Amino acid sequence: MEEFKFIGKSVKRLDEKEKVTGAAKYVDDIEFGPNLLYAEIIESPHPHALIKSIDTSEAEKIEGVVKVVTGKDFPYKFGLYMKDRYIFAQDKVRFIGEQVAAVIARDPRTAQKAAKLVKVEYELLQPVFDPIEALKEDAVIIHPDLGNYPHVPWFFPKGGTNITHRLKLRKGNTEKGFKDADFILEDTYRVPRYAHCCLETHIAVGLLDYSGRLTIWASTQSPYTQRNLFADALAPLGFSHKDIRVIAPYVGGGFGGKAGVTMEIIAAALATTVKGHPVKVMWRRDQEFYNTYMRQQVVTKIKVGVKKDGIITAFEMANYWDAGPYAEYGANVVNASGLSATGPYRIQNVTIDSYCIYTNLPAAGPYRGFGYSEMSFSVESHMTRIANAIGIDQVEFRRKNGIKEGDTVAYGAPMNPNGLLEAIDKVADEINWGEKEESKDPNKAIGKGLSIFWKAPAMPPNVTTSAFIKFNEDGSLNILVSGMELGQGYLTVMAQVATEILTVPIEKIRVELPDTDRNPYHWQTVASHVTWASGNAVKRAALEMRDKIFEVVHAAYHYDKDSLYLEDEKVKCKLHSSFELPLKDFVINGIQTKDGTYRGGAIVGSGSFMPEFTSAKQDPETSQGGHPNVHYTVGAGAVKIEVDKQTGKIRILKAVEAVDAGKAINPRNVEHQIIGGLLQGLATVLCEDMRFDENGKILNPNFTDYKIPTFLDIPDEVVPIIVEVPQPDGPFGARGIAEHTMIPAAPIIANAVEDAVGVRVKAMPITAEKIAMAIADEKKEVDDFLMIMKK
Amino acid sequence: MAIVHEFEYFKPERIEDVIKLLSEYKGKARLLAGGTDLVVRIKDELESPAAVIDIKGIEELKKLEFREGKLHIGALVTFTDLIDSDIVKKQFPLFWESSKTIASPGIRNRATLAGNICSGVPSLDSGPALLVYEADIIVRGAEGERVIPALNWFLGPRRTALKEEEFVREIVFSLPAKNHGGSYIKLGRYKGEDLAQVGLGILALEGNEYRLAFCAVGPVPSRAKKIEALLNGKPLTDSLLETAKRLVSEEISPITDVRATKEYRVHVAKIMLERGIRAAVERIDGNGPAYGERLI
Repeated sequence: MEEFKFIGKSVKRLDEKEKVTGAAKYVDDIEFGPNLLYAEIIESPHPHALIKSIDTSEAEKIEGVVKVVTGKDFPYKFGLYMKDRYIFAQDKVRFIGEQVAAVIARDPRTAQKAAKLVKVEYELLQPVFDPIEALKEDAVIIHPDLGNYPHVPWFFPKGGTNITHRLKLRKGNTEKGFKDADFILEDTYRVPRYAHCCLETHIAVGLLDYSGRLTIWASTQSPYTQRNLFADALAPLGFSHKDIRVIAPYVGGGFGGKAGVTMEIIAAALATTVKGHPVKVMWRRDQEFYNTYMRQQVVTKIKVGVKKDGIITAFEMANYWDAGPYAEYGANVVNASGLSATGPYRIQNVTIDSYCIYTNLPAAGPYRGFGYSEMSFSVESHMTRIANAIGIDQVEFRRKNGIKEGDTVAYGAPMNPNGLLEAIDKVADEINWGEKEESKDPNKAIGKGLSIFWKAPAMPPNVTTSAFIKFNEDGSLNILVSGMELGQGYLTVMAQVATEILTVPIEKIRVELPDTDRNPYHWQTVASHVTWASGNAVKRAALEMRDKIFEVVHAAYHYDKDSLYLEDEKVKCKLHSSFELPLKDFVINGIQTKDGTYRGGAIVGSGSFMPEFTSAKQDPETSQGGHPNVHYTVGAGAVKIEVDKQTGKIRILKAVEAVDAGKAINPRNVEHQIIGGLLQGLATVLCEDMRFDENGKILNPNFTDYKIPTFLDIPDEVVPIIVEVPQPDGPFGARGIAEHTMIPAAPIIANAVEDAVGVRVKAMPITAEKIAMAIADEKKEVDDFLMIMKK
Repeated sequence: MAIVHEFEYFKPERIEDVIKLLSEYKGKARLLAGGTDLVVRIKDELESPAAVIDIKGIEELKKLEFREGKLHIGALVTFTDLIDSDIVKKQFPLFWESSKTIASPGIRNRATLAGNICSGVPSLDSGPALLVYEADIIVRGAEGERVIPALNWFLGPRRTALKEEEFVREIVFSLPAKNHGGSYIKLGRYKGEDLAQVGLGILALEGNEYRLAFCAVGPVPSRAKKIEALLNGKPLTDSLLETAKRLVSEEISPITDVRATKEYRVHVAKIMLERGIRAAVERIDGNGPAYGERLI
């Protein structure tokens, strides 16, 4: 095995001290000077209505109000994968909380006061909230012009309906597969909406200066994608990409909610109306819930057939996703998760239909896991039930059907190298799988649950990234990349990758946060792909620098380039052991030769990376023929819980998760991701419980009633396990693990609850109430779905 | 989020000045102690007082004293003060236990008992303790002081017996004449800070005397008189407890909301009654689970 000096080491995070001491700057920490203006948004109180008129005259009279802006000022559509979204509502509002107008004022209080005076007259339209209702023939159509919306070629919207995308996957012969089955189980599972709940709410500050330069400071995962979408949407105002600059300081949590563009475009647009003045738009906590993205709701109908020996013969699934009224990003969640909805199983006959459906709930889109968590809840609940029904141990069942390298995934591509079986064995071992345990308290029962998972980055096939690295006079390095440090340790990992080649101590490296003027292109920090993709770009940049270094040394000393190597910040030579030249002596100022002239010059490196084997050219009727995913990361999770049979309350005695990182570049960061991701997943299954009233208004856009676990609620023990089966095209074998870590959480709890008390919960979340009432009413299955509350 | 509403702000140093201001503003003034309820409500525009009278400058309202078997809790005494008090922990352990379930440490550092009971919300965690210890609320107005028994305090959701131009000066807890044990159990959605979905305070006094009070399962925190009548004078047996549990649905009238359904509230209230009363009785002699330990 290759020996690494920096890779595989839990080096201290580059941003650690800065964040712990409070030195790290976030957007709201930045001083924008006395010209700063504040925006307050006028929001729709109706889920679906026509805007008849907007009267801004009273608001404009308030002292301190600079401008009131409405949809007619910006009649432009935008969107990442499909243009179906507006900067401000145009003729129509489609959810409660949608931005209709904005007041720009000298202080937040004046802006708030004036916003109340903007009068909007609406004509109410029938809303639709349930994705299945929205499919009915007589359903109200939320986007009558859907058929004309520009979109990526792998979306198939159906004009005249609420179907913004349908993914259709066919492999083998499902009908025959079911005929061959000895046992078939069919059921429906429901997953409600969830919110990201970042500590830092969305914030963006826009400034159009007198030189015509539009700068946006944003709390974002996607500076370049934002620049691209701003440039595209604001092109009618004369902006091009070079005129727009996005600066991304540290982010207080992203989880997918700060991917793409949501409210940031309001700051960009408003800035164009008040030249010379920065305009700040900062979401309150309630706005953070309803006007960024939410995680989509999904209804999953699933049918799986197996032979007596446990081999899966057929898999059929239909997913009805509620994307809210804007699906420009959410439709890709539907697409990506649909392609991989089988989970990490080897199945010959597969039928999957996933529908992305417009509703009048708030817009939904990317959220850590990108649809895989939702699929995992139904598939892994279902597989457990099947294994139990045919009398095969769940672990054995998963080992038997688990996907291996070279197996064909549902859309026909081969599976990459992976450590799925190792992960299964390790988590099973950790919770003493197969050993039934009893609680000392007669009111309580202990249960165990297990689940496997996979996830591939969901990206366009030609997604790209790049890196610049430059040496300084003292041999220290600045690495410029545009991936985002979201807390995952990206900056540190990029430094480790670069210096594995360049041998500079970590303390002598800075990795700079994105600024689209200075740092090179990176698509977005999503899809858990930055370690892999950006790592490859950084590695290439470092290799380019090493080549240049050897070139200079060769030019000055005439040593054969192949005989040179780097060690401890010095160039050394295999053939001349006495030769060593410190990098700092020449990486800027070159090497002086005998005649007094110099060789070399400032050493800089650049690298870019794009996968060249991916393609989205699959057959729309079968999804066969393309290669939409770069690779999968796999893993397994398990849990041991104690359930109070009277109150239904769950205590997690032990949670364990193994993930195949390929190569853990920074093992401590990987372990922390596993712990953090698993806890976030456990929150969605045990605590978070989003509710709407019958008019589509969210009832708990706050932490009083939308619960995120506290330290008191974490499991008694969490065990992270790293598996390492290298990814051949990853930097030093690494692949992404970030989103994955929350995927198994919901099914392991569902499975453990059934193991403990014999109740199968088929609709998330799995609350104490559902369990207790099922036990009290002697019910074996719970379907209660409470997201929209009846009066 | 800024406070848009405009109001006059006063910070008097004498109780007399508070009374004067209250009379002057005729119900349009609100008192500010911890502000954990009031400030949020003004921000959310649920309240728009013409004046806010900050009483934090009045030293005598900060007193927490135990004298002659009575605990005097000034209007500025916070829940952290109560939790940190050895007297409260030793002499009124049920009250101590319920105080620890209120909000989170940060809020408890500011929030006062007086402010809490003036908010008068149905889920008031301090309500059951006040009712079972039969505390007195001392209020001041232009005409002097009057004593309102806690049992007469709660009139409806966010409605109390306090008149517009009065304010709470202190709350007085009298030590029960007999040796006692207690318990406060709160149903929340998780272990972190939550508003009670059911709260039940139980005081068990030597000689088979019981006092029970619920919160969050009716318009106001209230004593469970039927259950008390059934239990009083009888030693606790399994069959007696079963009978008592059957009375729970007659004592409470919970609603279904985002926090819980009424069915679950009733279901858990019965479990709480059973576990709470057992703990309270065991605690009379210093046995049973330690105060502060979770019973559900």
